[in-house]
Formats: sequence, C-alpha cells, structure tokens
Amino acid sequence: MLTPALRIRGLRKTFPKVLAVAGVDLEVARGEVFGLLGPNGAGKTTTLEIIEGLTTADSGEIEILGLTWAKQGQEIRSRIGVQLQSTSLFNKITPREALDLYGSYYPKRRSTAELLDLVQLQEKADSYHITLSGGQQQRLALALALVNDPELVFLDEPTTGLDPQARRSLWDVVRRMKGEGRTIVLTTHYMDEAEALCDRLAIMDHGKVIATGTPASLIADLAIPSVVELTFDGAAPDPAAFAAALGQAVERRTDLWEIPTPDPKALLPRLLESAEAAAVPFQQVHIRRATLEDVFLHRTGRSLRE
Amino acid sequence: MLWRQFAMEWRLYARDRVAMFWTMAFPVLLLLGFGTIFRNESGPRLSVVRVQAQASSPKDVALDQALTDLHLKVQSLSKAEAEARWSKGETAAQLEPDGDGYRLRLNSYLMAQAGATAGLVNQAWLMAQARLSGAPEPQRIPVQVESPGHKRSTNYASFLLPGLLGLNLVSMGLFSVGMVNVSYREKGKFRRLAVTPLPKWVFLLGQVLHRLTVTVAQAVILLLVGFLAFGIQNQGSFLDLLLIMTLGTGCFMAFGFALSGFAETSEGYAAISNLVFFPLMMLSGVYFTLDAAPVWLQHAVAVMPLAPFLRALRAVFNDGGSLAGHGLGLTIVAAWGLAAFLLAVKRFRWA
Ligand SMILES: Nc1ncnc2c1ncn2[C@@H]1O[C@H](COP(=O)(O)OP(=O)(O)OP(=O)(O)O)[C@@H](O)[C@H]1O
Ligand SMILES: [Mg+2]
Repeated sequence: MLTPALRIRGLRKTFPKVLAVAGVDLEVARGEVFGLLGPNGAGKTTTLEIIEGLTTADSGEIEILGLTWAKQGQEIRSRIGVQLQSTSLFNKITPREALDLYGSYYPKRRSTAELLDLVQLQEKADSYHITLSGGQQQRLALALALVNDPELVFLDEPTTGLDPQARRSLWDVVRRMKGEGRTIVLTTHYMDEAEALCDRLAIMDHGKVIATGTPASLIADLAIPSVVELTFDGAAPDPAAFAAALGQAVERRTDLWEIPTPDPKALLPRLLESAEAAAVPFQQVHIRRATLEDVFLHRTGRSLRE
Repeated sequence: MLWRQFAMEWRLYARDRVAMFWTMAFPVLLLLGFGTIFRNESGPRLSVVRVQAQASSPKDVALDQALTDLHLKVQSLSKAEAEARWSKGETAAQLEPDGDGYRLRLNSYLMAQAGATAGLVNQAWLMAQARLSGAPEPQRIPVQVESPGHKRSTNYASFLLPGLLGLNLVSMGLFSVGMVNVSYREKGKFRRLAVTPLPKWVFLLGQVLHRLTVTVAQAVILLLVGFLAFGIQNQGSFLDLLLIMTLGTGCFMAFGFALSGFAETSEGYAAISNLVFFPLMMLSGVYFTLDAAPVWLQHAVAVMPLAPFLRALRAVFNDGGSLAGHGLGLTIVAAWGLAAFLLAVKRFRWA
C-alpha cells in the first residue's frame, strides 16, 4: 500500500518572540490537491518551509513520500518541486538558462521548451530575470518548481500578483498536474481559488490548524448554508437595534450587513418588513451561498482579510 | 554538474560589465600609477633634512659635499621651516647644528628609512672630517641592495608587481568574494537552491573555480601591462607562476567562503574579515621581521599562508628561481586552502 504523500505530526516552530507553528498535524493523500488557507502570519509559509527542509522545526515528525529528512534528504529534494512565496534569482539570468541550470541538478527533468510553453513565457525566454514583470517572475518560479517532474509539488501563494487570465491558466496547470497523478500542496488567500482547486483544505490561524475537510464539507458543517446581505451606499450603520428587532444575528462589514441563515426563503419577507419599519437605508439585497470566508469567520470570529 | 555551475557563474559574471571592468582595471591602474612614479629609480631615495646654520662654516660645506657624494637627498631648510616639517611627521631624519657639532634626530615612526639614513650621515661625517684635516679618506664598506634571489632590479615597478598580484588576490578572496556571498545570502538568492539536490560543495567549488579563473585572467592582464609599459618580465617559468597563483588564489578564495559562513550580515562580515586580514598581514613577516617576537609566535608565523606564498611568487617572478626550495611553503598554502574549503562547506548555509 502506498504511504501518504505527506504526513506531519505535532510540528512546532518558535521564532524569537513569535510562536509561528503551534502543533500542526496534517495528512495529504497521493494525487490530492491540498490547500492551506489562512490570514497573513498564520504560519502557512513557515509550515511549508519546514516540510521543504528550508527551516528546522523545534519538534515534530515529517514524512514525505514515505521518506524522512534525517535519512533521505537528497532523495526528497529530487522528488519534490517547490515554489517559494518569493523566489529571488540572479538578476541577469534568463528564464531559459534558469530552467536549464536548475534542471541540471536533477536526475530526471522536463524539457525547458515544454516548461516555457506551460507557463507561457516563450516570448520572455531570453530576457534577464530582472526585466520580467512580477507576474512573469511568478510564472517562472512555477516552471522551476516543475523542472524535475516532481511527484509532490509545494506552491506558496502561486497566484498572488497574477492577472485574472494568468490566474486561470495557473488553475489549469494545477488541474493538469493533478490529472498526471501528482500531489499538490498550495497556500492561498483566495476563497474562490481554494474552492475551485482544492480537494481538501486546512484552515490555519495563529500557527494552528483550526479545521480540515473538503470545501463542501467545511461549508456544510456550518449548518447555515446561506447568507443574506444588505448593502449600503457608504459605511454600514450599527446593526444592534435592528438585530434585536429581527431576532437574528447580524454581522456588520465595511459597507454591508450579513445575516447568516439556514432558510433564506423564510427570512427574506420578515427581513424586508423590519428594514422598512426601521427605515434602514440599504441599497440592495443579495442572497448567497455560505463560503469558506464564512467558515473562517465562524471559527475565529474574525474575517480572513482583516 | 560542476562544469555547468562554473560555466553559469562565468556567464553571469561576464554580464556584469561594470564589476568585471573594475576587477580587471584596478590592479592595472595601481601598477601604472606606482610604476610611473618610480620608473627610473631603484626604490624610494633616502633623504635628510639639513637645518641651516647661522653662518656656514668650512665644516658645514665639507659635510654637505660628503652627504651629496653618498647619494643622499639633502633638503636645506631654515630652523623654523624644518621644525614645521618635523611636526607634520614628513621628515625621517633631521641633521641640525648642536653647539660645536651636530645632532641627528630620527623619526620614531619611520625607523626603516631613518636608520639607513643615519648610517649614511655618519659615514659622510667621517669623510668630511678626513677631508678637512687632509687625512686619507676613510675606507667605506660597499653596500648593495638585492633580493633573496640575488637580483638587483633597476626598476622598482618590477619589485612591485608580485606584491600587487599577491595583495590583490588576498583582498579579492577575503573581501569581495566573501562579502558577495554574504550579501547574496542576505538577499535570499540561495534559498531556491536549498530545495534542489545541488550539493553545497559543488556550488562552492564552482564559485572557487570561477574566481580562480577570474584571478588568473587578471594576472595575465597585469603581466601584459607590466611588460608593455615597463618592460617587466617574469624571470621564472610561467608554469611555476601559474601553479603558485592557482594555489594562492584557491587558498584565499576558500578563506573568504569559510569566513562568510561565520557572518550573519554584510556588516558582520566586514568586521570578521578585518579580524582575519590584519593578523594575516602583520604576522606574515612582510612588513617587519619577527626576530624579536616570542618563540611560540614565530612558530605560529612560520605556518601562516601569506608569507610562503609571497616568497615563492617573488622568487619565481623576480629572481627566476625554481620552486625547489618552496615545497614546504606551498604545501602550507595548499593545506590552508583545503582546510578553509572544508570549513566553508561545513559552515555554508543557503539561507
Ligand atoms: N524568519 C523569521 N523570524 C521571525 N519571525 C518570523 C520569521 N518568519 C516568519 N516569522 C513569523 O512567524 C509567523 C508566521 O509567518 P508565516 O510567514 O509562516 O505566515 P503566513 O501564513 O505564510 O503569512 P502570509 O499569508 O503573510 O504569507 C509570523 O508572525 C511571522 O512574523
Ligand atoms: Mg506566507
């Protein structure tokens, strides 16, 4: 039987004054797209870099493709692919040279032309790294992560800084990799991305995993599958009095109120009535399905993007 | 893999035109500068400041003549002018009237020149006295300045060139190479390499080899300029010269990489490299002999790498000697290089 792609137990890491990773357990099956979701400073990058062997943990066990760092470091390195949160290359290296060079470090490698094609960098193949745009550098970093035809790929915020089109094309790349049977572990801040790409997710906050599951099960576990939103023209007013009158919890966001409900159809007439009675100056009403954002809010009492 | 790493280092280096130009041009400019200044001299000339007496006596005239005969450069100054110059610290030796006779004041900071000058002044005084009394001139013991390989160069620049080669290489190794390494690490340029199977020693050896070839290229340019501009020629075999340069460069480059493993930041590196550079220079026996130092220190100095390297370099380049007598010295250099490289690999961190 195949070992899991990744198994982590009790991972802890303290930086001077900061407890960055506070006891993380994870298990990622082979062939899975696994997402780490969490706000800035949650400990996602630190967790990944410990797994990748860049940072040493204070304690905890890591097993990668059934291998451990202590015994099989070189084999792990040659079988994983890594895109760091920020990849700093030499200023005057070109994408073609970088792919050739990094490819030469591995026993097995994919052709440079194929990789340039995959991330659509053919036109910039011979430009110096420093002259590439942020998004192009990001795409080169992705190609570098795939240079050794890896079984397990770690992508730290692969779509941050990409335009919508490049983002979509990265999603395609990830799906294609999954189709080829690779395992992918990625971090993201985008809910839609996590929902669209990931088979399973771990939500992290303050160095801990606070929830794991498929996107659908995480949302279903909320037991409030819908949210009614009242949007305002400008800042949203204090909803306390209105919430009391309605007999329902109302969350205030910057320019809207959110009212989570298991049954929007029943709530809506009552809601509109109360709003009219209290002369609430709202602009529009939306009903939407609950998202991972709501899961995070519910678990932590805070929004993902503060 | 090593070859690729090495080739890529060169390719990236060659793209940094400005840095490459200055690395190559700087020692050449130094050589041109010093070479031109000392073009026709066999080294800086000794000089003495002569404080003029109230009224010049026959004794003074005879002494001045004798000083000139001994090829001392005499600067006649009034008492006030001489004192002003002395206070600025520019005077090595000052000869002044004292009652009936003379007194010679030597600058304690410039004892090498002052000491040699004192010998000549005393000789001149003996000559002057003999001439005045009509006695036969005292015989002089001829003095001659030459290298350990018995060469008397007429051209000071040719003595300068090996020193320039050696110093340039030490400073490249200790300062530029190590500093660049630390600053790249600070900027996170090596982090991406850390997650590849590239072994540290291949990466480091690629860098050392790259630097080594840069330095050899630099040396070739320097030799060429020395030859074309001043007719300086390598007196020994070029193969020996290449061997010495390779060993020396490898050694001091490895030093730089090893030190960079001990520094967190570029600022820290500057401090650490100075900490190593100064003892290395001071205890090399290049600036002063350590005959008076404690025995343990002399033993320590004997196994330092800089002195045997420079000795071998000079012996081949200036004196046309063979490497026969330098086997031990070059072994010391190689041993330091190897030890430094192993330490560099051990201490190297990608991030
Ligand atoms: N080298 C370091 N030294 C000290 N503290 C660090 C270091 N690296 C990270 N931290 C701290 O550890 C915590 C977790 O950081 P980490 O980079 O893992 O967060 P993250 O979830 O990746 O955040 P982001 O979404 O912003 O990338 C933060 O509080 C951060 O300040
Ligand atoms: Mg991060």
